Formats: sequence, C-alpha cells, structure tokens
Amino acid sequence: MFVRNAEPWMDGSSLGEHLEETGVSRRSFLEFCTEMAVILGLGSAAAPSVAKALESQARPTVIWLEMQECTGCVESTLRTEAPTIGNLLLDVVSLDYSETLMAAAGHAAEKAKADAMAKNKGKYVLVVTGSVPTKEDGMYCTVAGRTIRQHLEEAAEGAAAIIALGACAHWGSVQAARPNPTGAVGVRDIIKNKPIVNIAGCPPIGDVVTATVVHFLTFGRLPAVDREGRPLFAYGNRIHDQCSRRAHFDAGQYVESFDDEGARKGWCLYEMGCKGPATYSPCPIVQWNQRTNWPIGAGHPCIGCTEPYFWDTMAPFYNRLPNVSGFGVEHRIDTIGASLAVGAAAGVAAHATMTVMHQIRRRKAHQTPDSGSTSGEERNNG
Amino acid sequence: MTPATESRPRREIPWFEARVPRVHGDFTWVYLWGAPLRVMHWVSVFSIITLVVTGLYIGQPYFMAGGEASSHFLMGRFRFAHFLAAAIIVMAAIVRVYWLFVGNVYERWPALFPVTPRNLRNVWLVLKSYFTMRLEKQPHFVGHNPLAQLAYTTIYFVTAAMIVTGFSMYGQAAPGGFFDTIFGWLPPLVGGLQRVRLIHHTLLWVYPMFVLIHVYLAIRADSVEHAGGVSSILTGGRFVSSHDTFEDFNIHDQPSEPWKSKHH
Ligand code: HEM
Ligand code: SF4
Repeated sequence: MFVRNAEPWMDGSSLGEHLEETGVSRRSFLEFCTEMAVILGLGSAAAPSVAKALESQARPTVIWLEMQECTGCVESTLRTEAPTIGNLLLDVVSLDYSETLMAAAGHAAEKAKADAMAKNKGKYVLVVTGSVPTKEDGMYCTVAGRTIRQHLEEAAEGAAAIIALGACAHWGSVQAARPNPTGAVGVRDIIKNKPIVNIAGCPPIGDVVTATVVHFLTFGRLPAVDREGRPLFAYGNRIHDQCSRRAHFDAGQYVESFDDEGARKGWCLYEMGCKGPATYSPCPIVQWNQRTNWPIGAGHPCIGCTEPYFWDTMAPFYNRLPNVSGFGVEHRIDTIGASLAVGAAAGVAAHATMTVMHQIRRRKAHQTPDSGSTSGEERNNG
Repeated sequence: MTPATESRPRREIPWFEARVPRVHGDFTWVYLWGAPLRVMHWVSVFSIITLVVTGLYIGQPYFMAGGEASSHFLMGRFRFAHFLAAAIIVMAAIVRVYWLFVGNVYERWPALFPVTPRNLRNVWLVLKSYFTMRLEKQPHFVGHNPLAQLAYTTIYFVTAAMIVTGFSMYGQAAPGGFFDTIFGWLPPLVGGLQRVRLIHHTLLWVYPMFVLIHVYLAIRADSVEHAGGVSSILTGGRFVSSHDTFEDFNIHDQPSEPWKSKHH
C-alpha cells in the first residue's frame, strides 16, 4: 500500500475517509490489514476485523521523542514495507512531533508539540528512541534548552501509552555499555506509571513497529508482552528455533571461518559466535528491508541485539561464550578448565608417586616376617 | 559426619542384609550406605560421564558431518543424549534429596555439613597428613573424613547448579513453557542467558578434577589404610576392627549380633 504524503490526514476525518481521499484502493488496504493480522499472530481471517477497526479510527496523535540516539531506529522504521512507516506515522497515524521527520523547526516545533500534548492529554501515543543520560543532571542531551529527561517526563505525563523503540529506549544500548560515561538509562527507569512496550532491537524491524501501532489502534491497548516487555507476537521465539540454518546446526555442520567451504554452503554460524541460541526476535521470519534478507541469512552471526544490555552481555560478538577476564590475557574457559584438569592430574600423579615411595620406605623399615600383612596394628598405623 | 559417638541411634540394617553374620572374630561389618544411595551413586557416574562428553561437544563441536544436512543428525544426537542423561541425573538427585531425610546417620543431611570445631580440626589434620604423608597422624573415620565429605557436598551443589542452569537454557526453546516458568528467573539474576551458558560451561570442569582426585583418594585409602571404602559403595558397608578407633563411630554402639536384634 502506498500512501502519498501530499494529502495530510485532517483532524476529524476517519482513517477510512482519509484513505479514500488519498485514492488508496480498498484492495491494497485489505492487503495491508491481512499482512498486519498475520504478523500480529491473529491469522489472515482476522484481517476484516482489523480493517474495520482501523477504518473508523479518528486521527490519533503521536509524539516522537528522539533522545540520546543515532537515528538508526527512525531509518529502520522508515523501511517498513507497506505502508512505509513514514506513510503510516505521517499520514495514516500522523506525527505531531518528530525531530527527524517534521518540517517545522525551533520554537515552532516546540510549540506544535506543546499544543498537541495539551489538546490530546491522556490520549496520545508517545514513541521514544534513545536513552536518557542521568549523570551531570542529564546535561549530555538537551533540546530547546532543557534536558531530554525533562522533555520525557513532561511528554509521558499525558501519554496513553509509550512505545520504547530500540535497544536505547529500554536498556540504554551502546551508551549504557560499560563504563556508561553518561549514566544512560532507558525510559522504564524514569517513567514508572505508564504502559511501556519494548520494541527491542538495534535497530528493531520496521514491520514490528507498524504492527504494534496497528494493534494499538485496533484494540485500543498495547499487545501482550514477555518478561522483558517485548510484544510476544514478535519476540515470542528464539532466533535459533526459527533459523534457516538450523538444519545444519542439528546435522553438525558449522562455519569455522568466514571464507571456508561451510560458509559458502550456508552452514550454521554457531562456532562463529552466533547468539541466535540466546536471542528472541522475529528476524528469521519477518526479515529486513522489505523481506530482502537478514543478518544470519547474509552469513553473519547474530549479535543478540534484542536482548538486555546486549553490548555487554553478548560480547564478544564473534565468540560463543563471554570472555573470562582476570587471567592476564583473556582466555577461553576451556583453556582454563583443561589446564586445571591437567594440573589436577599432575598433582594426583605426584601425590601417588610420593605415597608409593613412602610406603616402600616404610615397608623396608619394618622388614619383619609379618610385613605387608594387614595386622590390626599395621592397619591402624596407616 | 557425626560429631559425638555416644548418643548415636542404632544403625539401621535393611531386612535383606540383616541375616548376614556381621561379626567375624575381631571384625564387625558396619553398614554405611543404603541401597538407594549406592544406586544413585552409580547412576550419577554414568550420567555425569555422558553429560561431560556430550557437553564438551555442544560447547565446541570438535568434529563435523560433511555432505547434505538431511542425512546427518550429529549435534541432534549429542543434545538428545545430553538431555536424556540430564533427566536421569535429576531422578538420581531426587532420590538423594529424599534420602537426606530418611537415610541413616552417614547419609542424612546434617552429615553433609561437617562444620563443628572438632570436624574442622579434623579437616586440617587430614589435609596435613595428605601433604606430609604422615599417615599415622591421620584421624580415622568409618564413613567419609570431613574433608572428603566437604568435597562431596560441593559436588552436590555444583550438580544442583548444573541442573538449574541446564534447565534454564533448556526452557529457552519454549518461552512460557514448563521449564521456562520454573527456571526463567535465573538469566536476569546472573546477567543474561550468555552468563547462564558460561556458568554451565565453566562448572563442567569441576567434574574431571573431582573424579580424578576422588577416585585417586578412594583407591589410595584402600591400598594404604586397607579400609575397604571402595567396595563399600558396592556392598554398602565395610569391616572394622575392634582395635581401631574412629572419630565418627564407636564399635560398642553396635549390637553384637545385629541380625538377631529387631532392626529399625
Ligand atoms: C554434570 C552435568 C552437566 C555437564 C557437565 C554439562 C555440560 C554442558 C556443556 C559443557 C554445555 C555446552 C555449553 C556451551 O558452551 O554452550 C552444555 C549445554 C547444555 N546443557 Fe548441560 N551439562 C550438565 C548438565 C545439564 C543438565 C542437568 C541439563 C538440564 C536439562 C543440561 C542442559 C543443557 C542445555 C540445554 C545445553 C545447551 C545445549 C543447546 O541447546 O545447544 N545440562 N552442557
Ligand atoms: S546460525 Fe545461529 S541461530 Fe541459526 S542455527 Fe546456527 S546457531 Fe542457531
């Protein structure tokens, strides 16, 4: 579904009316609804209900705050297939404030945001990308003369729900990686009293964002989430359990370097440090850039970017297990373990030799006809 | 290990062994390990060997299958064996935990923690005699010496950690499922799934070291002290001489003809 940007969605008109005005065919709208229903795990049979719910929607307000971030999430979400998120959020949903996407700047932009928030208090959706710096009173990230934390607290106040978009917004991502110089934290560490959904990933897949918004519009609430606050429809399964290379994992066929025979044959990337076995994400199914491909599909091991604090917890990206520091050089745990086991074997051998020598010496010292037998006294002495 | 020998309850002898004569001249047969404990021991031996061998392959697949994926199931088989042995060791663990409460005085849970001052002194004496080879200075025990007991207690806890970390990883394939619900609290506690994996992998190396030292010391004790401990894990007990004195046992507590006495 392609929606031209030329016709902005006006307050007061429903989505159905708006689509008609823009000349979107009924067919492509239904296609879009079917796709969303499938991604949401509702099944294609639910498409008419989704369509019905979406059609009658009045224009909702979305405020998009960009905090301490790289804009990668916006870039990624703009690459939703149909409609592109630019379309969905700019035209279908309409974005009242987004630093990257809006045309307004300076005081006008700030005023637009304040107006939208005041007018739709308690109803608007707040999308947040980026982390909040907490050190030095948050002076590492300021917009319009105020810290981003103040902006966030103010915008969250009147929000109906918050979509924390990307690893930064929930866990602080790379900024929060050790040693975390700015004291970066996620939205949930600041805002405690609003429903927050965690669209995890660095960046997340655009379609997942779209589907979450569609869910919100269709059902009036955020989708069901897992332990980490991620929507279950998208993050309910491990990459490893949906992976196209899984047959090679089970067969015992592994890539050992990026240019070997196994790599050419598309074998499993387990030994290259793939974090698929510890990562929940819809990448293998939904894929990226209009379903073109995804990292493991392209031959790169998963780095686990949808998992908590992945820069610290999933490192090193090209080793299966975390490094064990504190042994001078960083060693694989197997090297350490095997050395200890060899050490134990050597210790046992040395001790056994000494015991035998000791016994021989003792027997020689006790050279009596009875020696070597197990008389009570002999046993008692050892 | 029990500290005081005076107020020990009479040792229980199961009916199927109660008829065997226990006193041969100066020697009395002392029943130490109940059948469930011995079965548990050997079941654990086989599952731990399986778990270590298959675990090492899962951690580092050191050989591979060529050809088409459809004609191989190498890792699949290793993982299957790992999970099967895991299920078996869990059963053994359940039996052992039950036996901690109904077993005899050498098997009950207080025996796992020889931490009285006297026991700790004995730990030191045993250690000293291991290092100095002064066997005559070594205190004697019918059951385990407290140092050995501490090692076994450690292995119990390590195995418990393997089970918890193992099932926490196992549960990842089915979020919200049985194992994930029971063991899902672990990854956030230790700092992520990778940390769980690392702990599971690291603790593997405890087993080779433990087995080496454990088997060595058991054989050494038998050949140097002629104590009969090795066969006790098969037969359940050992003979002790009335001339010997033990830290954890008093021969005069034993009924002289236990097979005639009412057992239990
Ligand atoms: C003596 C006990 C055990 C040893 C020595 C052992 C050893 C190992 C090792 C070395 C690994 C590879 C870890 C890695 O590098 O990723 C592993 C993986 C694993 N172990 Fe164990 N393990 C033991 C018990 C258990 C138990 C009781 C379970 C319970 C189910 C279990 C479940 C697993 C699972 C699920 C994996 C990950 C395999 C995969 O899905 O790829 N392990 N084990
Ligand atoms: S490539 Fe990664 S996710 Fe895919 S099967 Fe191998 S280890 Fe699992």
